[in-house]
Amino acid sequence: MRQRSLIALTATLAAGALTLSACGSRDDKGDSDSGSGGTTVTIGVDAPLTGDLSALGLGIKNSVDLAAKQANEKKYVDGITFKIEALDDQAQPSSGQQNATKLVADKAVLGVVGPLNSSVAESMQKVFDDAKLVEVSPANTNPALTQGTDWNGGTKTRPYKSYFRTATTDAIQGPFAAQYVFNDSKKKKVFVIDDKKTYGAGLAATFTEEFKKLGGSVVGTQHIDPETKDFSAIATQVKSSGADVVYYGGEYPQAGPLSKQIKAAGAKIPVVGGDGIYSADFIKLAGASATGDLATSVGAPVEELPSAKEFVANYKAAGYKEAYEAYGGYSYDSAWAIIEAVKKVVEDNDGKLPDDARAKVTEAMQNVSFEGVTGKVSFDEYGDATNKQLTVYAVENGAWSPVKSGTYTG
Amino acid sequence: MTGIGPVEPVNSPDAQETYEVIGADTPRLTDRWRALSPRVRRAVLGTTALAVAAAGVIALPPAKPSAPTGTLDPMPWPANVTTFRYTGLAATFASEPTSGMYRFAVTVHSGPPVTLRVTGAAFDGLTARISPTETSTVSAGTTRRITVQISVVDCAGLPLDAGMPSLDVTLRNARAIQRHSFIFGGTYPHDLSELLHKACGPVPARPSRRATGSANSQNVDGG
Repeated sequence: MRQRSLIALTATLAAGALTLSACGSRDDKGDSDSGSGGTTVTIGVDAPLTGDLSALGLGIKNSVDLAAKQANEKKYVDGITFKIEALDDQAQPSSGQQNATKLVADKAVLGVVGPLNSSVAESMQKVFDDAKLVEVSPANTNPALTQGTDWNGGTKTRPYKSYFRTATTDAIQGPFAAQYVFNDSKKKKVFVIDDKKTYGAGLAATFTEEFKKLGGSVVGTQHIDPETKDFSAIATQVKSSGADVVYYGGEYPQAGPLSKQIKAAGAKIPVVGGDGIYSADFIKLAGASATGDLATSVGAPVEELPSAKEFVANYKAAGYKEAYEAYGGYSYDSAWAIIEAVKKVVEDNDGKLPDDARAKVTEAMQNVSFEGVTGKVSFDEYGDATNKQLTVYAVENGAWSPVKSGTYTG
Repeated sequence: MTGIGPVEPVNSPDAQETYEVIGADTPRLTDRWRALSPRVRRAVLGTTALAVAAAGVIALPPAKPSAPTGTLDPMPWPANVTTFRYTGLAATFASEPTSGMYRFAVTVHSGPPVTLRVTGAAFDGLTARISPTETSTVSAGTTRRITVQISVVDCAGLPLDAGMPSLDVTLRNARAIQRHSFIFGGTYPHDLSELLHKACGPVPARPSRRATGSANSQNVDGG
């Protein structure tokens, strides 16, 4: 028995050694941050780098930076060095539009990752499209951005061919949340609140529509002012409405205090939201009473995807101060999609960028397909991600914990 | 912010259900070794020793210490490699149906084989199971067509418009057991709604809006 164990151990060591040698040879390729010389291509980044939503924005910026660095290390596109230019939109559409104009004016910019907010994206799309500059958002979920304003009326029309996203949409996220709340949580009476913004109002609408289809009733609706943090009046309305659940379309800076004040008003019912509240900061703001609150978020958690292990390790090794947060993996994949498109354009033009590089990169983006951090990355005819996975999380023991995952199949 | 799940380790002591272990019938390495002749064993040992020595030499130049490890996990979680596609009704509905047969194409893209079990169809008033057997195993790189029988067991609380319904499944491979929902657009909501309308809709001849029956039964309680 002992002898057999020794033999098995020897065989294991042999296999391990061979694996190590394979890893060693693979590492020989890239040993510095320096680029491969030649032409420098800039990947623009637009996100809220300051303000309430900066945690998410900085995670986006860092993840794009990591993708550019790794492309340079690997000399992934021969003759091209990537750099990033990150601009702060402060989650404001007007700032986003100014940033878009600035990025368009820089001829070295061949693609932009961002923004975080759907309302900001609305203000940027046309600016980029007029310049044929491709934009890949890791976080926008409003369906109209890719499918047109009449997407829910049966007529899907892509407004801008230069706009793509790696996150799935609220056309799926809202109904997914409604199905979970109605079927799994057994909640039948909802009070719906939103922040009147493109993302929040849109998400609340898709949730409400599905919840009513399922037979649930909406016992109250309200809108909040995102500039305030005093929601006591709404909390009182929620309490008196008899709702057994609250759905909030909006983001964590408001959702956290809202949840806390609803519970403080005596309504011990869960607050449910979308990816905009899926942040550790929500739990910090909502406090201990947030236990049982729910959030849906696009995709599967990056930490648990086999394809993401390298990203997580590299992000950590790069020493960024801020966490990659909910959209880090999607931001890396958005940047890498631009890198893949640039690679395709360069290779098709005898190793050089053509004069109409922006238009060519936008064209190439439609057919980009690769195994990314978040799984397979490719785009459908609207520019939407073909990967449409979602996860429901619940606040348990002071952290978000996954409770159900789903995949949309069109 | 951790985890996709709910996930249980395979053969978890907490698991309520007994699962067939994929690959359990495969001979172990030590059993295979015992089956070899002494001559073959010597040859294998010699080759292995050479391989160890060679690999040691190759591996001696150290990998750059700053290079982060980039090994991909070879064993993916089942929900990340399994896709469902609705392909249509397997049979037309009876005049007063309590169940319908729905066809799906299940593809496993990589990793070990995935055993799937359909556990529900979004609503409490419906049951769902793969027919005729309750589980189906799909190997990597293959697509298997399955038929799912969805039965109406209680009309109370069931919507007639299915909205964006899901099929709840348990996916199991050598890595994990996951409960997962596949949400369908396209024609599936329409086909499911047709069953709901026929079984629970306000048909004048029907004495009761409440259908009863089991997942395995086509019979309606005459009421």
